[in-house]
Amino acid sequence: MTIAGWILPALELGSPCSYDIMPVPEVQRPASGWVKRVLIGRDPKRTLARVVIWVAVCLFVAKFVLLPIRVQGISMMPTYQEGRVNFVNRLAYVFHEPKRGDPVAIKLAGEHVMYLKRIIALPGETLEFRRGRVFINGKLLNEAYVRYPCAWDHPPETIGPGEYYVVGDNRTMDFTEHYQGKAWRSQIVGKPLL
Amino acid sequence: MTKWILRLALLTALATGGLWAWRHLFPGPEQIIRQRLSQIAATASTSGDEGIIPKAARVQKLTTFFTPDVQITIEVPGLITQEISGIDELTQLAAASRSMGQAIRVELIDVSVTLAPDKLSADAHMTGKATWPGERTPQVQELKAHLRKVDGQWLIDRAETVRTLR
Repeated sequence: MTIAGWILPALELGSPCSYDIMPVPEVQRPASGWVKRVLIGRDPKRTLARVVIWVAVCLFVAKFVLLPIRVQGISMMPTYQEGRVNFVNRLAYVFHEPKRGDPVAIKLAGEHVMYLKRIIALPGETLEFRRGRVFINGKLLNEAYVRYPCAWDHPPETIGPGEYYVVGDNRTMDFTEHYQGKAWRSQIVGKPLL
Repeated sequence: MTKWILRLALLTALATGGLWAWRHLFPGPEQIIRQRLSQIAATASTSGDEGIIPKAARVQKLTTFFTPDVQITIEVPGLITQEISGIDELTQLAAASRSMGQAIRVELIDVSVTLAPDKLSADAHMTGKATWPGERTPQVQELKAHLRKVDGQWLIDRAETVRTLR
């Protein structure tokens, strides 16, 4: 639409003589108008309203639906690489409770810093580590996401009601050095989107 | 219609500005405690290349945020377990850590303050974040502190680390 408005007059001046007398300022003038239109649109008031609405929607989504995060640390490698940007879906557990194998974001005092771990045991279950392998209620848990095996040993531990046992995927470090354990349901903020 | 919208926007802006000014000029106990905690974080941070006198001054300033009978319990699995009793022990520890000359940036974030009904004591719950230059991953720790109002000043008399995962 706007392109046709300033190309067509130039095409009409097709003959060599008329080309010589083509008024240059008139051809250049629409360029600034085009830039202006791209930047602020035909109706600045409407554009402003759109910008305000978009900013409000983005802020709402970032606060209440998809919380933007940046992964720091190696605890969840190789599933989540350090430095990657991700989003925590806060609505992931609105209609159902967290499941085994779900990676989850766990809040500390607030949500500006969170732990990213994986749920391996659910409320009421008994968890045990035997030479790096996880046993839930005495049955071996298949963990395809663990690429770096370990030799952890941990005696059977029963998970209380409303609690979830979480651990990172990277288990190359010593059991005591890897931050893991039971988290309350209320501490689970959501599930990473990617 | 446009006039009404403009008036409403102006009124909202004035109310927000007024509220901000009021809170800035007359801060409540919660806000004072938050300010104290951010001052503690700023004092605990260091660039690492400070001289002996500024180091000593920082340690001295740090002690002014605590009561003489302060009790601090630090328990970070796989890293450190320590009990600090009294301001003298805290001063010694702070001086020793300063003497290592390592730069550190301390932040206290997500602070929530609960005032006691008598408004003479308060509990603060927060996340501590320590960043060392050259290290990509900061150390984070959930913390709890109990503060007491002594001679008009909010001082920490008890602080402890909280195990986020048990």
